[in-house]
Amino acid sequence: MHTIRFTVNGHVEQATVPATMTLLDLLRDRLALTGTKEGCGIGECGACTVLLNGNPITSCLMLAVEADGSDIETIEGEAIGGELSVLQQAFIDEGATQCGFCTPGMIMSARGLLNRIPDPSHEEIIEAIAGNLCRCTGYEAIISAIQLAAARLSQDIGSRDAQEGRAR
Amino acid sequence: MRSLFCFSGFKFVRFQRGFIVLGDFEYKRIRSIDEGCHCLAEAAGKAAVLAGGTDLLVEIRNHLKSPKVLIDCKNVDALKQVHVDRSGSAIGASVPLNRLIENRAFHTTYPALATALLSIGTYQLRSRATLAGNICNASPAADSAPVLLVLDASVEVVGIRGPRSIPIRDFFVGVKKTVLTPDEIVVSIQIPQRADLHTTFLKQQRIRGHDLAVVNMAGAYSPGERILRLAIGSCAPTPVLLEPIKVDVGNVASFAGHVAEIVLSSVSPISDVRASSGYRNAILPVLVKRILHNLLAEGGAS
Ligand SMILES: Cc1cc2nc3c(=O)[nH]c(=O)nc-3n(C[C@H](O)[C@H](O)[C@H](O)COP(=O)(O)OP(=O)(O)OC[C@H]3O[C@@H](n4cnc5c(N)ncnc54)[C@H](O)[C@@H]3O)c2cc1C
Ligand code: FES
Ligand code: FES
Repeated sequence: MHTIRFTVNGHVEQATVPATMTLLDLLRDRLALTGTKEGCGIGECGACTVLLNGNPITSCLMLAVEADGSDIETIEGEAIGGELSVLQQAFIDEGATQCGFCTPGMIMSARGLLNRIPDPSHEEIIEAIAGNLCRCTGYEAIISAIQLAAARLSQDIGSRDAQEGRAR
Repeated sequence: MRSLFCFSGFKFVRFQRGFIVLGDFEYKRIRSIDEGCHCLAEAAGKAAVLAGGTDLLVEIRNHLKSPKVLIDCKNVDALKQVHVDRSGSAIGASVPLNRLIENRAFHTTYPALATALLSIGTYQLRSRATLAGNICNASPAADSAPVLLVLDASVEVVGIRGPRSIPIRDFFVGVKKTVLTPDEIVVSIQIPQRADLHTTFLKQQRIRGHDLAVVNMAGAYSPGERILRLAIGSCAPTPVLLEPIKVDVGNVASFAGHVAEIVLSSVSPISDVRASSGYRNAILPVLVKRILHNLLAEGGAS
């Protein structure tokens, strides 16, 4: 057993975990953050995408003990006080969600992209979400949603996302 | 509130499942290379170095490997360094691929290698996966291998008997097998800088999007020496580096035919989930033609 400390969506957490536990299982089963999904468990589908120190990773391919000292962001950190993030609202406005299983991972990949590149090109969006499989939408609406979020964030520099420093 | 959930029946089942799925191992985060070598030596072949885990954890989950200890070397400073300069480069063993791909100097110095690394998996995967892990995993399809072979890279290793430098052409010995002894840790990959070389990397996949290579191939051409070096992946138990080929092109098409013959006689493709041996044999001459087109057009040979 290993005792680890890390932050999840800005909250400091401490957990005692077996070496064999994945970060995904820690989030879902210990911290009850079930927004992050398990699709394949082997890095293929992207449903389990979270941000590790600002970078998208697949949490099914990382051990919980490896998260010691790191900063994790999940889909639960997007809405604050019930108010949706600009990205979430854009997904709704563009109809970028159908069954919704891929959506948490998609949004975290998009969040990582907007952290790196605030005004991504069509190609850059495709590359950023190439690791997130969606069985329903055909991807076009998702790409539009990310473009819409990027545009709204750049126009509305006073938005909550910008204030949170998310639009960096 | 949250901790209450840990003890519910459902969570207990998931917890147990966690054990079953990911085997049974201990985890050690080492602080120095020496400590790592000693841990590895003590475990006598029952330990594995954990870098990004994108191969290792999948293999453990699929019961293909069952190490007793995972030695995490990501916190050792010496392994986190990247040096790219004119005399050559050293890529630390725990540097994630995205850090290389997003490093401008790396990109301009080794464009073919950057292309190969960008073709590995997905953005999320490349946030964790390493170059060292890609070669130590020793898959015949490892995308970095053909480029490292034509660039004449070497693998810097430390074991309990001290350091050694292994030319990449001697590194792979079979499917998933390298020359590393169980106590050895790869510290860095050294890549000579040859400004005169034109290099290129091609990857034939089943789909556009992320997929392992059906065949991958790298070429490096020196216009001054008129020497071509080619390496091919996914067509033999290890990636294959051909002997340097003297470029003497009267007619590019017949030269390509000549090179394709050398390639076909140097590989032994099998049929697997990604392609038949027939398809691989058929696509190899096509890739040779494309590589020669890229390199010789760029390299100014006529
Ligand atoms: C969805 C998916 C897609 C993929 N796509 C591709 C692809 O397109 N092309 C491709 O080539 N690969 C691909 N891979 C395989 C894998 O991601 C790469 O091989 C990656 O580079 C492995 O690096 P890692 O750091 O994750 O290695 P790990 O999994 O940590 O380690 C791999 C092996 O190397 C050993 N090792 C690691 N570091 C060291 C060290 N410093 N010293 C000694 N031994 C060490 C480990 O013990 C283990 O045996 C894919 C994998 C997945 C899951
Ligand atoms: S569950 Fe992690 S990538 Fe599919
Ligand atoms: S909305 Fe159903 S998988 Fe994407």
